[in-house]
Amino acid sequence: MIDLSMIEWGDIAFATWETLVMTGVSLLFTILLGLPLGILLFVTASGQLLEQRGLYRVLSFIVNVLRSVPFLILLIVMIPVTVLLIGTSLGVEGAIPPLVVGTSPLFARLVENVLREVDRGVIEACQAMGIPTHRIIFGALLPEAMPGLIAATTVTAITLMSYAAMSGVIGGGGLGDLAIRFGYQRFQTEVMVITVALLVLLVQFIQLAGDRLVLRFSRK
Amino acid sequence: MIRIEQLNKTYRVDGREVSALTDVNLEIGKGEVFGIIGRSGAGKSTLLRSLNLLERPTSGRVLIDGEDITRFDSRRLHALRQRIGMIFQHFNLLNAKTVAGNIDWPLKCTGSLDAAQRAERVAELLALVGLTEHANKYPTQLSGGQKQRVGIARALANRPQLLLCDEATSALDPETTQSILRLLLDINRQFGLTIVLITHEMQVIRTLCDRVAVIDGGRIVESGKVVDVFLHPRHAVTRGMVAQSDPLTAAMLDPGHAFAKDKLRGTLVRLTYLGDVTYQPILSHLAAATPARFTILQGEVSSIKDLPFGQLLLEFEGSEDDISKVFAELDRFEIHHEVLQ
Repeated sequence: MIDLSMIEWGDIAFATWETLVMTGVSLLFTILLGLPLGILLFVTASGQLLEQRGLYRVLSFIVNVLRSVPFLILLIVMIPVTVLLIGTSLGVEGAIPPLVVGTSPLFARLVENVLREVDRGVIEACQAMGIPTHRIIFGALLPEAMPGLIAATTVTAITLMSYAAMSGVIGGGGLGDLAIRFGYQRFQTEVMVITVALLVLLVQFIQLAGDRLVLRFSRK
Repeated sequence: MIRIEQLNKTYRVDGREVSALTDVNLEIGKGEVFGIIGRSGAGKSTLLRSLNLLERPTSGRVLIDGEDITRFDSRRLHALRQRIGMIFQHFNLLNAKTVAGNIDWPLKCTGSLDAAQRAERVAELLALVGLTEHANKYPTQLSGGQKQRVGIARALANRPQLLLCDEATSALDPETTQSILRLLLDINRQFGLTIVLITHEMQVIRTLCDRVAVIDGGRIVESGKVVDVFLHPRHAVTRGMVAQSDPLTAAMLDPGHAFAKDKLRGTLVRLTYLGDVTYQPILSHLAAATPARFTILQGEVSSIKDLPFGQLLLEFEGSEDDISKVFAELDRFEIHHEVLQ
């Protein structure tokens, strides 16, 4: 029933590459935006290093709002902003801004939760040593939280990969685009099966790599 | 070195004011080992944390070397904290750093030494706490006692004048506790370091401290030299603490429980004495000098820190005249005596 002879393997390889680029570049920007946001959420929360209840409430509200918009809707809402930012809303480049906006709040929240798990006593010990707050954050807090941060990055990378596939609906590139154009619109079930199989493999690989890294940084 | 004046701390819990410290006044001298003992929730942790402002008092002053630290801005406070070491019940080491990395961390943050000088200082501290061969291990690979040694080395890194110990041995087994206490005593003597510790164990106070304050319900209920507080506890809480660490002393303070009162015929007297007199043949002297007869009911000869002491519970039989002769002899030897019955 499944006839692999009509598959254009070159197209699939290229689409896989595009998916990896979309995921990788978006992950980079998600970390650049989400990590500072997550740290800010953590330190401004009540009872923490730089308690700022007002700022925390505002940040927390923005994060919640962004996280409550379904990604498919965010993709469409973001189109004008994406065009303004990089000139097009199509292809690999066009998919990156909505991906970053969609996953940064998630990543920030994950980072906040991971940092909360760090033993308060360790932070107190650093304060007792007279270490300035910025050094406590970057020299003690983040290294202590490293395994958790890597795990959070793994979760985010996998979410990004599935979102990247979804961006195929509005003309993003990659495996999602291929699945929709060939698998769905042209009824080529074979393409659909292969894209899904490839996505499953990629997700497995990311999770495995993430778990390995977590283990390497764990001192528990 | 440290003076605490009229210190108060109140918390707001569910809109109600809860008092953690009330009118605390203390003076702690340079080079002294000062203990604060109390039950859990008595306020001892809040009091200790007021000395480096991890807890800000609601009112009152904390003077260190004559300066009121509650008025320090954040830069001066950081500088002050770098000169105060602190160790914790749960060690609070950085799990992501090695033993050497943990000790190096405060040095690195102070920035007064270059890398080579820091490495030298770390090696020196590792040797001091006896962990040289564990330099490259991670804290999770160490035992509790070893972790606390790392904590001590880290606290001493910047050559502080004051060391705060927050229940430093409460998570350790008795044998390890003794070795950590010995290390702290060594450090106190070697560097003239002032140590302020909090604990709920009288044993820790007896081994290490020169003076002690007993805290209960946020108030200092009793304070003084350890021997005095230990041998003559006045407050119920102090008596409770003594009873826990030393049932014999507790029994001698309140012999009514220990003896059938109807069997006692004479005068029940408790003797306490300190120092050289511990090695004197007091009893045979008493027997020779007075016609009063006596029975030893209970007794203990031990030491507090390095000070030998003895306490005896004796029952004297004889005329009033004989008994007063006994007391005169005891006074001559500077032996404290109290008639219990």
